[in-house]
Amino acid sequence: MQSKFRSLSSTCLVGFAVAVCLIILPADVALAHGAELQYIERSAIEITARYDSGVPMANAQVAVFAPGSPAEPWLTGTCDSEGQFFFTPDPEIPGLWEVQVRLAGHGDLIRIEVAENTIGATGTTGFTSLQKLLMALSVIWGLIGTALYFSRRQR
Amino acid sequence: MHIPDGIISTTAAIGGYAAAGGMTWLSLYKIKQKYGNPRNGIPRAALLTAAFFAASLIHIPIPPVSVHLVFSGLLGVVLGWFAFPAVLVGLLLQAVMFQHGGLTTLGVNACLMGLPALMAHRLFCLRSLFGRRKPLPNAILAFLAAFSAVAAGAIMAALLLIYATPAYFDAAAEKTAVLTLSFAHLPVALLEGTFTAMVVLFLLRVQPTLLEADQK
Repeated sequence: MQSKFRSLSSTCLVGFAVAVCLIILPADVALAHGAELQYIERSAIEITARYDSGVPMANAQVAVFAPGSPAEPWLTGTCDSEGQFFFTPDPEIPGLWEVQVRLAGHGDLIRIEVAENTIGATGTTGFTSLQKLLMALSVIWGLIGTALYFSRRQR
Repeated sequence: MHIPDGIISTTAAIGGYAAAGGMTWLSLYKIKQKYGNPRNGIPRAALLTAAFFAASLIHIPIPPVSVHLVFSGLLGVVLGWFAFPAVLVGLLLQAVMFQHGGLTTLGVNACLMGLPALMAHRLFCLRSLFGRRKPLPNAILAFLAAFSAVAAGAIMAALLLIYATPAYFDAAAEKTAVLTLSFAHLPVALLEGTFTAMVVLFLLRVQPTLLEADQK
């Protein structure tokens, strides 16, 4: 009777130990696969490269120059098919960042002011269509005026 | 064909300015020698400079790229030695107003478009061999002159760009892109050839003296 009780209690003990192990072990195994995510909010810069006709410069090559090193690119990459390119400037290097976009000898350079906390700044190197039209017309009129001036009868 | 600032090396830009300076001097010298009073040629030169200036704003989408008219051949055919200064003034205005091209690359661009224009002029001068007033030789030579001017400009630009790609860009990818762009100039060359031939036929009928840039 006593031995029967002892074997029962030892069975209970083993069962309890196994149960504890079953509870703890998977938790340990799961911890080994645990991922840790952090986030820091930073402002990225989106470059959209288009020809002045509006056609995106697909797959154009991009070189990003940090302030103070105009010869060595800080980052190089390629625009997507929509002519877009994203990069996050190093907030440790505030100043005038330069982004050069090039495709088949076409391209431009844009300068972006990166302060310690810049959010939502926008800029462009182009003009609107109306500005372009007015400029083109004024130049053409200047040239026609030149032609008229030199074609008047000489006295 | 308009190379913007910062694409080619400083050496190439300075070389371009030197070449363009020399060509401008030669053109002005020839103008003085041939025409005496250059005032008479200026109205025509100014109007064609306006055409040249406006032409680069007319885009022709040829997927995957977009190209624009050049009119270097037309300038050469109609203006003769006036073509080089006209190209130079047109490019200066395009660079200042629209950042199309650039001020540092003005010399290089003037050579890329001015030299083919002068070449087109020489080609068109061959019409004296076939009869100066006959429409067919005039039209064919005008077409060939304008076609070859665009082709020569595109080839020169491609060679320069491939040679002058900075080390930090992928040279192979840039080369492919440049070659694609150069081939896209083929329809432009055909279009400009046809247009120039039509202009020459029109001028031959209404005002043949306008085509006498090679005479006087």
